[in-house]
Amino acid sequence: MSGFLEIERLGKDYGGVKAVHDVSLTVGEGEIVSLIGPNGAGKTTLFNCITGTASASEGQVRYLGQDITHLPPHRIAEAGIRRTFQHIRLFREMTVMENVLVGAHLTTSSGIASGILRPAWQKKEEHAARARVLEVLEQFEERLLPRVDQKVKVLSYANQRRVEIARCLVSTPRLILLDEPTAGMNPHETQGIVELIFRLRDAGYTLLVVEHKMRLVMNVSDRVVVLDHGEKIAEGPPAEVTENPAVIEAYLGQRENAAIE
Amino acid sequence: MPQIVKDTLENSPMILFLAALVIAPFVIPNQYIVQIMVFIGIYVILAQSLNLLNGYIGLIAIGHAGFYGIGAYTSAKLTVDAGLPFELAFLCAGLVAGAFGWALGRPTLRLEGIYLALATLGFNLIVWLVLLNWNSFTGGPLGIKGIPRPTILGWEVDTRTEYYFFILAVVVTVVFTMARLVNSRFGRALVAIREDQLAAAAMGVDVTRYKVQAFVISAFYAGIAGACYAHFVRYISPDSFTMLESFILLAILALGGSGNMIGPIVGAAILIAIPELFRAVAEYRMLLYGLVLIIIMQVRPQGLFGGHHYNLHLRLFDRGPRRTYRGDAFLPSEAEQ
Repeated sequence: MSGFLEIERLGKDYGGVKAVHDVSLTVGEGEIVSLIGPNGAGKTTLFNCITGTASASEGQVRYLGQDITHLPPHRIAEAGIRRTFQHIRLFREMTVMENVLVGAHLTTSSGIASGILRPAWQKKEEHAARARVLEVLEQFEERLLPRVDQKVKVLSYANQRRVEIARCLVSTPRLILLDEPTAGMNPHETQGIVELIFRLRDAGYTLLVVEHKMRLVMNVSDRVVVLDHGEKIAEGPPAEVTENPAVIEAYLGQRENAAIE
Repeated sequence: MPQIVKDTLENSPMILFLAALVIAPFVIPNQYIVQIMVFIGIYVILAQSLNLLNGYIGLIAIGHAGFYGIGAYTSAKLTVDAGLPFELAFLCAGLVAGAFGWALGRPTLRLEGIYLALATLGFNLIVWLVLLNWNSFTGGPLGIKGIPRPTILGWEVDTRTEYYFFILAVVVTVVFTMARLVNSRFGRALVAIREDQLAAAAMGVDVTRYKVQAFVISAFYAGIAGACYAHFVRYISPDSFTMLESFILLAILALGGSGNMIGPIVGAAILIAIPELFRAVAEYRMLLYGLVLIIIMQVRPQGLFGGHHYNLHLRLFDRGPRRTYRGDAFLPSEAEQ
């Protein structure tokens, strides 16, 4: 199991503020690991360090045995890691189709010359990429398919979240980092994401999820990692973690409503 | 209905427009108007070139006349002094400008927004000062005289009408290549960078590389426009490549709208034609020019065809798939089937 994603003593400070401090964490292939913790606990910072959006101050991130700690984001994407963002970052003026096609950037190869000259292989590639996008959008039932040619900025918040996930899936990455995938969704929509997460696990994806909805976390996670003030305070199966007194004090105890939903 | 008939019908406005442009010089015997249309053509190339940066990848470049000047001087020097054939000099104008684009882009494209804008402005200033002061090479303020008329594969482009057709061919080629480029994987990466650089990088787009490539392509086209200009007026001096020229290009994009293919064409046509139309009231010319800009900015701040929502891909040049879902039926790809 080990050796898939290994985070070793990772630290990140912003001008003296330790956003993440001495966090070690291993994610095995095919696992669903949830990252929880109060606001400001360093969850997103950890995501940023893994995906190269932020550069870790200390420690190491290894993916498939390769040190990816200080690689630029596009190189980490090349390694097969995709992410969504806590605050939706879509290409707002592009259509759903175009957004997801950008997600397929690395699985296609056409460049300047072939873009202009349009040789047969370029057309074939473009055709295949679009077919693949439709295939991915089908996983979201009738939410995205009818809107495939609409600009994403006109979509609902929940649909925009779905497009972000679709944009990750299209390249069939091995590891996906979901940063609050159900934020802004109602219980019914959240259930749709839960089902999607199960489908992804069955399809062999490895997921690292930041989430605030505890029921979802308890439901889908193989393992839960709890961060507080940038440090890891607990780790284990969901049932075990919720019993942990440190966790209850840091997180669940003070935020009873979070435990309910 | 056969595909070819469908395509023709769908493209009929553009085909008619192109046909009108071909017939125009014969219907309008006025050489002066043909000359203005040549200038409009040159500015369409320049505006399309700048549009790739300002409109598609979202880099604010405000010193584009620098590349324009480099292209013009390259082609002039190579034909006048080195005696190179026009076709070769024309191509070199683009390549040399492109090389300068690379040299400027490599170090400066890590800058964002206003800082990059200032770097490009500085570049324009430097080019202009070098052209003005390097007397032995550029002829200084006197410029370069006696630039030959082009001869293209044996076709001597002598008259204004002939030159008009030459420019028309160049413009069509430029718009054709641009339209295809922006509606491909490459173009999508550019727009993605404009929309959200961080997200684009997270999807595997090498942001710096794409910025440099877009910069080089844009400079290449500006260089081509420079050569078109030099061989038409046949005398060039540094004054034609000042920052004012760069600002006219920005005004064209502001007026016509950027981020699509039609805006720069419409903007160039209007902004170049206006001063000529108002020549009769010469003293109020610039006043009216300014007034038109102010009104447009008030009424349509995104430009006539502006806003990035106006996605005109020019179907005639680009028959790639566009709509993928219609009602309940999937059309995975129309053109390729």
